[in-house]
Amino acid sequence: MKATLVMGTACILAAVLPFVGSEYVLSFTVQLYVFVALAYSWNLIGGYAGYTHFGQVAFFGVGAYTGALMMDAGFHWLVAAAAAGLSGALLALPLGGAMLRVKGPFFAIGMFGMARVCESFALGFDNITQGGTGIYLLPVSDLKPLYFTLAAIALGLVLLTWRLDNSRLGLQLLAIREDETAADALGVRTTRLKIGAFVVSAIAPGAVGSLYATYLSFIDPMTAFAPMTELTTIAMVLLGGMGTVFGPLIGVLAMSVVNELLWSRFPEIYLAIVGVVILFVVLWMPRGIVSFLAHRQWSWVPVARGSLRRLASRPRIAARPKEAH
Amino acid sequence: MSAQEMEMVAPAATREAGRGAGTGILSVQGIGKRFGGLVALNDVSLEVERGSVTGVIGPNGSGKSTLFNIIAGTLRPDRGRVFLNGRDTTRASPAEICRGGVGRTFQISRLFGEMTVLENLVAIAHGASDPEAVERALELLDFLEVAHLRDKWGSELSYGQRKLVEIARALMLRPTVMLLDEPFAGINPRLQNRIVDHLEVLRRRGLTLFFIDHEMRIVLEICHTVHVLAQGEVIASGPADAVRTDPKVKEAYF
Amino acid sequence: MPVLELLIAGILLGGLYALMACGLNLVFGVMRVINFAHGDLIAVGALTTVSIVAGYNLPFAVAIVVVPLLAAAIGLAMQVLVIRRIADGPMIMSLLATFALSTIIVNVSILIWGGGYRGLPGVLGGSFRFLGQDIALSRMVSFLVAMAATLGVWWFLQNTRFGRAIRSVSQAPELATINGISIDAVRNVTFALGAAMAGLAGVLLAPTFASDPQLGARFGIKCFAVIIVGGMGSYPGAMLAALLLGVIEVFSGYVMGQVIGSAILFLIMLTVLLVRPRGLLGLGVRA
Repeated sequence: MKATLVMGTACILAAVLPFVGSEYVLSFTVQLYVFVALAYSWNLIGGYAGYTHFGQVAFFGVGAYTGALMMDAGFHWLVAAAAAGLSGALLALPLGGAMLRVKGPFFAIGMFGMARVCESFALGFDNITQGGTGIYLLPVSDLKPLYFTLAAIALGLVLLTWRLDNSRLGLQLLAIREDETAADALGVRTTRLKIGAFVVSAIAPGAVGSLYATYLSFIDPMTAFAPMTELTTIAMVLLGGMGTVFGPLIGVLAMSVVNELLWSRFPEIYLAIVGVVILFVVLWMPRGIVSFLAHRQWSWVPVARGSLRRLASRPRIAARPKEAH
Repeated sequence: MSAQEMEMVAPAATREAGRGAGTGILSVQGIGKRFGGLVALNDVSLEVERGSVTGVIGPNGSGKSTLFNIIAGTLRPDRGRVFLNGRDTTRASPAEICRGGVGRTFQISRLFGEMTVLENLVAIAHGASDPEAVERALELLDFLEVAHLRDKWGSELSYGQRKLVEIARALMLRPTVMLLDEPFAGINPRLQNRIVDHLEVLRRRGLTLFFIDHEMRIVLEICHTVHVLAQGEVIASGPADAVRTDPKVKEAYF
Repeated sequence: MPVLELLIAGILLGGLYALMACGLNLVFGVMRVINFAHGDLIAVGALTTVSIVAGYNLPFAVAIVVVPLLAAAIGLAMQVLVIRRIADGPMIMSLLATFALSTIIVNVSILIWGGGYRGLPGVLGGSFRFLGQDIALSRMVSFLVAMAATLGVWWFLQNTRFGRAIRSVSQAPELATINGISIDAVRNVTFALGAAMAGLAGVLLAPTFASDPQLGARFGIKCFAVIIVGGMGSYPGAMLAALLLGVIEVFSGYVMGQVIGSAILFLIMLTVLLVRPRGLLGLGVRA
């Protein structure tokens, strides 16, 4: 109930903002939506399924280039974004099939390398990507539709995560995180679940990459595959709480403030500070803010995975006759 | 026993498949396994009758864990075959074996720590809606008298509570056979007896129980058939009383 | 195709990779932690060497002695302050922690040295003829020192009491003590040793390659490729794979150009993950 109220207010705020907000507020919220989309996508595979993902920026960058090249060829930015989302999924499917067969460290290394390889391809195949010069696009005249598209993707991912968190699918992903061998031995279809989660987690970064390129009317390898994007996203999810519904949102809000204060002025210090934030959370608050609060059991913190408990607390119809199986 | 409790395990007949080799619901035929130069199992064969309680005992290093893991699909034998429910499962993955109607517990608790007890059970249900899965999980927790643990985190439970919850979790899939990996190791006799009572109820409902343990007392007390393993070979098989007095067993075990 | 020339170049490069990757693999074997900051220790080593030799006009030999000690100190600090506290927890935490450490080292390096490339022109300059080929002196010296260090550490692992303790821990990390050597001591020494090897690799690549704070990511990926192909936790596997991948990289760079050439090791790594995740001589992935 409380959560619905908060979400509702946020949605109304987001809807009104482009008509009243200043240029600065708009650019801040666009950043915010991009990171909400990235953080919730990362949360699916990194938070729920527990696979440390150091290469999400590969999908963001590939999406940005796919979209930019399509817009360059004359397609509408919305079509380009859809194609970019698809490109993320198409790239993730074989990668996931290969790298999720083995456990944590391999996946982390593989995806980390993947992002760097994509970057070197973007630099190296300069007859397609213009190399380090980057691709310049015609600026979009009205940014409002772009703004709403990003807002819709961000909201969609929050709702998707909320649905997942309250379903058995979410529990099965968590079971993979907790003990994949046991989950598999107990009949959970771990392989297709984690590959599925990985592919789904690659769609939004691809689409958002393209939309971000539209927003900047420009893309180059440095922007598309920036380590800053990767690190900030991970820090957001970790800080807020991995594998929770509202953790990434809280992490995005908290880190966006740090980002806004430091990134434009002191980029080197900013990244080092993000590193320190990650270290701090890992050492002293590994479950993140949301779970930290949840374990305190303060009444205003929404309970995670509430629907099962509500089902369980329902008065049971005792010895109800059932049909045979 | 109410109608509701009756269906906790699927009627054996519905799961029965025709082309079985061997006479039992679980049939182990000529299994051999080496680790490097070490012979863990050497030509082990045994049959588990449907609806029976069968135990494998043996001193440490006798190969009983290896045997268990081969049956459960986590190890591949070098030779020999395993049939479960009449299906050749020698090369099947643990997941396939599990979905074929075999539940299992783990020697060292493998509950999902950052999930509640209820979630531990519901997570592995399949082929049922969420409300049905919750309903069944609650029934099983009631049955094993651990309903009060419903909302505890897996990592919060005591050693004995974990054993009970693991049995409940294994029952979520309505297995016809339960494989129990040292269910009585390291828990107090009172809890041992409680688990024995529950297993006995399950057996009466048609569940076949197969376990390995080195708790001689319990094994001889509740098993119809006992197989004694020593140095990778079955040195004695039969009813508990016969095995107890077998001189070969006395020599190897006591 | 100048086969012999490329082969020699590949082996010389592979020797450096062996030193880098063996350090990383040693740490993984004992701690079961992938150190994402390993490449950045290499970068710190290279940049410090540039400062020592070009900035303070000291001989290159000074760097060979001082830099590994510095790297070992940094490594030990990482281990004692961070890694030790989470090494036995979930894998995801140690991955995130070393990833964060990597970021911190890179960005502190940028503050110290700036973001640009730095070279060491003239150090170990000149070349000599070997098997009818002109070989740069700097590459040959780097190769020889790297192989000597790599084989020296291997000898240490095989023939000393402490070395055997390290090997025992990497075969059975759940042990508490070995011959009265505590597991903590083994872990600390291993981490420092791995870091020192990274530092030395940095020293050795400074005369040949341009150094910058981002160098860690480029060489880090190659280290990962080497230990995956060679087998996680296997010291001889990493040595073998390093030479193999050095040769493959040089040949593929010659045949397919720089872009594909730089990605080829990664593609080989992916293939090995798919076909034989244990690598050539590896422990495999433990559940």
